[in-house]
Parts: sequence; C-alpha cells; structure tokens
Amino acid sequence: MNKLLTSILSLGFAASAALAANPAISAVKVTDDLTNVDGNSAVWAKAKYTTVNLYPQMAIEMNDKNANEANENNKAKAASVAALYDGKNIALSVKWLDKTKDVQAGYATTTYGDGFAIQFAGITKGAQPLPYIGMGSTGRPVVVHLQKANEKVYEPNGNGDVSTQLNRQQTGVFGKELAEYDAKVASLANKDYERVFVGEGFRSLTEIKDKSVKSNSSMSHDTKGWSGTLVRPLKDDYVNMSGTVPVAIAVWDGSKMGRNGVKNLSSWVAVNLEGQKPNAALVADLTTDAKGDAANGKVALETNGCNGCHQMSAADPKSFMAPSLKDVGGYSTASYLRESILKPSAVVVPGYNRNAHANTPWYNIEKGKRISTMTDFSHLDKKSVDDIVAYLQTLKAEVE
Amino acid sequence: MSKRQLAMVMDLNKCIGCQTCTVACKTQWTNRNGREYMYWNNVETYPGTGYPKNWMELGGGFDAAGDLQPGVIPNLEADYGVPWDYNYESLVTSSADHSHFQPHVSPTWGPNWDEDQGAGAFPQDNYFFYLPRICNHCTNPGCLSACPRDAIFKREEDGVVLVDLDRCQGYRYCIAGCPYKKIYFNPKISKSEKCILCFPRIEQGLPPACAQQCVGRIRFVGFLDDEESQVYKLVNKYKVAIGLRSDYGTQPNVYYVPPTESPAKFDAEGKIIEGSTRLPIEELEKLFGPAVHDSIKTLKAEMKKRKETGVSELMDILIAYQHADMFRLDNHYYQEVAKEHKRTPLAPVDTRYIAGKFTKAGGHH
Ligand code: SF4
Ligand code: SF4
Repeated sequence: MNKLLTSILSLGFAASAALAANPAISAVKVTDDLTNVDGNSAVWAKAKYTTVNLYPQMAIEMNDKNANEANENNKAKAASVAALYDGKNIALSVKWLDKTKDVQAGYATTTYGDGFAIQFAGITKGAQPLPYIGMGSTGRPVVVHLQKANEKVYEPNGNGDVSTQLNRQQTGVFGKELAEYDAKVASLANKDYERVFVGEGFRSLTEIKDKSVKSNSSMSHDTKGWSGTLVRPLKDDYVNMSGTVPVAIAVWDGSKMGRNGVKNLSSWVAVNLEGQKPNAALVADLTTDAKGDAANGKVALETNGCNGCHQMSAADPKSFMAPSLKDVGGYSTASYLRESILKPSAVVVPGYNRNAHANTPWYNIEKGKRISTMTDFSHLDKKSVDDIVAYLQTLKAEVE
Repeated sequence: MSKRQLAMVMDLNKCIGCQTCTVACKTQWTNRNGREYMYWNNVETYPGTGYPKNWMELGGGFDAAGDLQPGVIPNLEADYGVPWDYNYESLVTSSADHSHFQPHVSPTWGPNWDEDQGAGAFPQDNYFFYLPRICNHCTNPGCLSACPRDAIFKREEDGVVLVDLDRCQGYRYCIAGCPYKKIYFNPKISKSEKCILCFPRIEQGLPPACAQQCVGRIRFVGFLDDEESQVYKLVNKYKVAIGLRSDYGTQPNVYYVPPTESPAKFDAEGKIIEGSTRLPIEELEKLFGPAVHDSIKTLKAEMKKRKETGVSELMDILIAYQHADMFRLDNHYYQEVAKEHKRTPLAPVDTRYIAGKFTKAGGHH
C-alpha cells in the first residue's frame, strides 16, 4: 500500500482517477417475483455486475494475537455486485474471491465461519449525511443483514433460543423416545445463520428478533469463492428505498479468523433503481473523489500533527491513541472524512479496549456520549480541509 | 465499578484435589450442548500445565499502563481436550463377546492430564499442591474490556461478571482478554459462557455449588464490604488471602490463602534436611506476588499463637468448624435490589447462611 501511495504521490496524482470511489450500481427492474430468489435463480442473467472494492477495516486492533498476525498485511478484495428489484423487493448478489470454505465447526473453539453482510441506511429525515458505515450513528440508523456460513446446530426448538437447548446426557429419555427426539432435532437443526441487526452507533447493534424484517439470504461456495444473495423488501419499518439506495458490503474470511471488525468493507455504494429518478447529489457524493490536492493535503495533515495520533500507513508504528487511518480512504466517503475533521465527536469509534489508556484516552464519556479528545479543525481554511480529505481518500490498500 | 463485590476465598492448605467442586459445578451447569468441554471450576496440579494447557502463557490481562494485552484463544482439541465419552449403551445392548469398555475418541489431552505430577525428584524434593480455579469476577475484567459488543457486564449489585447471550456474537475476544482463560466459547451456539458464581443459588441463600460441596471446606463466600464476613477478615483484616496473578491487572475477586506447610527435603542418604522446605517460595511469588511473604508470616504467627495460647480468630476462621461460619450470604439484600428494580423478590430456599451485613439490619423473611 505504502509503495502504491508513494508512486502515486510522485506522479503528482496523475493516476488519481484509478483511486476513484466505487461506481454506482444499477438495480435492474424485473417483472419476476424476487421473493424466493437465491444464487442459482435464472433471473440473475438480467443483472449488471459492477466491481466494488472491499477494504480491510482494521481501524481498531483487537486483542486476538493470532488474528492480528493473520491479517497484518491484508489487501483489498474486489467483489462483483449486482442488484435487481421488482417493485416490492430488492435482491442483491455479491461474489468475492475466497478459496477456502470455512464454517464454524460444532466442536472447535478456534474456527470461524465465512460470511457477508449488506447494510442499508435506515429511515432518517434527510438522505445526507449518511449514517456512519458499519454501525450507524445517533439518529441515523443502519440495518445490517448478516449471513454466516454454518453447519447443523443441535437445537431443539429451531429458534436460536439458547435457553431451550438440552444436554444429551440430561434428556433422560431412552430408546424410542430418544430416537423421536433426535429426529425432531434433526428436522429443526438446519437453522440458518441469518441475522438482521439495527444499529445507531458503536455498541448499539441489536438483533431484530421480532421477524419484522422479512429477508432471505443465502451463500454458496465454489472453487473460486463465494456468492451471496439477499432479498429484502424495498420498504418496511426500517428502510424506505427509492431513487438511489446507499448500501455497504462487508465480507469475513474465516480462515483469517475474521469476525467483527476483522473484515473487508466497502464504502457506501450508490445503487440506482433503474427507471426511477436518481438522487444526483448522493450519487455524486458516493462516486466522485473529493476535490482537493492530495499532495498539499499530506503536507497540511503533517503540519497539523494528525499523524501524531493516527497511524497513516502500514509502515507507521501502530498508535493506540486514535483509530488507524491506513485504509480509511477505502471505506469512508469524503463527507464523512470532512465531518470527522470539523466535528470529531460526531462519530467516535470506541476504543479497542475501553479500560485502556487511562492517562491518554481518545475520548471521554460525558453524559453518556463519547466526546473525542481530538481537537476540531474547523479553524482550517476550506482549501486545506479539501486537500486533507483528498489525501485521506488516497489512504487505502491495494486491491488483491 | 459495582456497588458491592461478592468474593470467594480458597484456603490452599486444605485442598485435597478430590475434584468434588469440579463435579458439583459440572453437573449443575452442563445443561446445554456445547458446554461439555468446559470446566468453569477446575482443580489443577501446580506446578503443571494447567487447564487450558499453559493458560499462564496465553496472554490477556493488562500491562502496567493499564492497556489490554493481546491473547491467544485456546484450541478445543489441543488445549482443553476433547471430552470423551464411553460406549455405555453398546455395553448394555450388544452381545457381550465383542463389546468392551472404550472411549469414543482416543484421548490425547484433557484437564488434569498431569495430575499429581508436580516438580522435583522423588523422593528427595518432589512437590506439588492443588490449585482450584474459577472465574475471578474481576473488578477490572479483561473479558469485559475486550468485548466490542458490550455483551459482558458486571452486575451492579454484587460484581458478578456475566455474558448477555443476546448480545454475544461469538467473537471470542473475551477469551483472548481473560488472562485466566476462564471464559469459554460454546461452539454449538456460537456464544461465550462462563462461571456465574452460582448467582441464582446465592440470591436464594445457597452458596455456589463448588463451595457448598467442597469436602476440604476450603471455600469461604461473602461480600467484601461486610466486615463480619470471613472473606473480609481473610482479605482485608488479616491480609492472608491474596489474588492469583494480580500482576495481570484484572483485580481478581477470588482470593487464595497460600499453602504454608510442606515436608522437608531428603538428602542423598534419605535423611531429612532439617529446616528445608519443598515448596519453593519463588513459585508462590509467581502466583501470588510479593504479598505472599507477609501472608505466610501472619499465618505462621497465628498458628504459633493458637498453639501457645489456644486463641486465634484467624485460625478459627480457617478451621471452618461449620458451613454457617464459611458463608455469609445476604438474601435480604437481594430482595431489596429486586424491589428496587420492580422485580419479584425471591424467597430464600435455605436460611442457614443468611447472615449478611444488610440482613442484620433488615432481618430476613
Ligand atoms: S477471570 Fe477472566 S472471565 Fe472471569 S471476570 Fe476475570 S477476566 Fe473475566
Ligand atoms: S472440593 Fe474442595 S478440596 Fe476437593 S478439589 Fe475442590 S476445592 Fe479442593
């Protein structure tokens, strides 16, 4: 990444087009009913696939030693994404490279399942600013559909209700009864690991368990990688899609102990519902790079001491003073970067460990809100901010 | 920080390694698939590999600056050991000639794999002691700090550390963060589970299963702010009970009275070396820190005092004449907490040990 960055800087950003944000995706309108669509459905022949880059999201280093080692030099992954809609539902298809098929084994503590998630911006008053990627932000919720590759789980009631799970040695049933019991369990055991969450900021992500979101997702693996699909209504209590729909995509690699933030994540991507009027401002925000001079931005950033706390590239020593920015350009919109410079407390990533750094916290909690210890840079002139944002957008790993 | 802290003291001089506690816990709490391999309470031989294997080398906890340290998540097969089962059923049902007793996997590792092995050369200077371990319900829990989902919490009312299974998504950072490796991953439900200090029993007037069943009567249970409780006296008044590996910075709330007595060593002729002791103090220092010296000094002095004068409150506590002397529970307190939260207060199922600080004031029902 660093190498790529230096070569680009030395070219005076002639190649900055190559770093452009993700292109918009066209959701093709179909007459077929998409309710039961999965990866094998013929209807996908009508879809237009677009490449979306998914960047390693390692802003906060977690405390798993082995996972950190396995993910040290992660590159970005290119995913092929397509969308369809039928007036009632939207269907998304994501294909990404991952040679190994990993599932959480029922008798292992150190295996992790592959998985993917698709995120939508929840219902808010205005479309912009968008919620913070991944977790949403106060008043700007996100809805996250998560699908993990899984295997049979021994689960008597099939509802994921852990309190009713029984221990075999304690069932106290024998012979015929036990066989009947096993048969019932087997019929229920294929419980799919599909979850929907709503989030309004870090640590708020909560599973929607009342079945008020009717979605269906699935995954299938071949020699090259995964293909995942998700179908959900265009409108429900949580989202209301029309014109341009911002979505974000994340994938986890179980072979690298991926889970939580150990993942690859896209920035917000614009999905235009074909035949509807796109939200031009939103599309422009998500598909064009910040207007600014990245080389000047780098200088301005150093002058203002940003790199005193933030890690800027993989080559910099890790800093626990503030989130790492080494891939921030990959998964952040220019507006988000700008907001973070001007209003650092708008979104505060909770520490990798909330008890750490008693003397040098990166935020304080005041009245239940995280208040960043970063000073705001609203005193900077507009050009410097634009330049810094342009520079930050160049910070991202190479695509694998 | 919680309002009060429930704590346990274990007197290592009295642990006989019978594993009654282990079994009490295991049969009480293995009530769900995926928990088979977990020992929320285990008794290991020290020195030894422990459970899980080499837990003291797997990281976690905090450094001197208070920063959480990275850790390693133990492997079920290699570090905990697959919990093997036997073919009881086929012994009963199949014809006797080709059926024999056998485990369903060939065990290669398990808890207590090195039971009673210890260190040193037999018979000159070999030694070991038993170290029972449960979750320490730390004041600054590594598990809680490591969880990015806020799925682990420390109960306000008594400091018991619990996992909210609705929030837990099985990330397992807690396991990496706990330096004692006392939080476990249930692979069947993909969530973390741990010792709950038997809070449903405590709330109803019963001590934790491990403590009540302990035949060595090594375990004392009570609230640290209750000056009449044995844990308060052992931890704060006499300062003989100390946390295990306090250097991990988690501020554990399970305290140990260090082993003080060990036989003398033998010389080459098999004669006793007068004044020698088999248990190297460095080993105790490694487990309990420098405070172990003062603890042992106090214990020896009180032992002497008891011998000479017949009076020593500390010795009387440690002898633990009856269960009622060892557990000071506080059902009344929990009833008040329940009322405060508009929950239905639980009536005690056992009133023998209800004698806590707040019980006195309010009286129990
Ligand atoms: S012993 Fe481990 S699991 Fe128990 S509270 Fe402390 S850090 Fe958490
Ligand atoms: S029951 Fe008591 S004496 Fe027996 S191993 Fe457990 S702690 Fe030790």
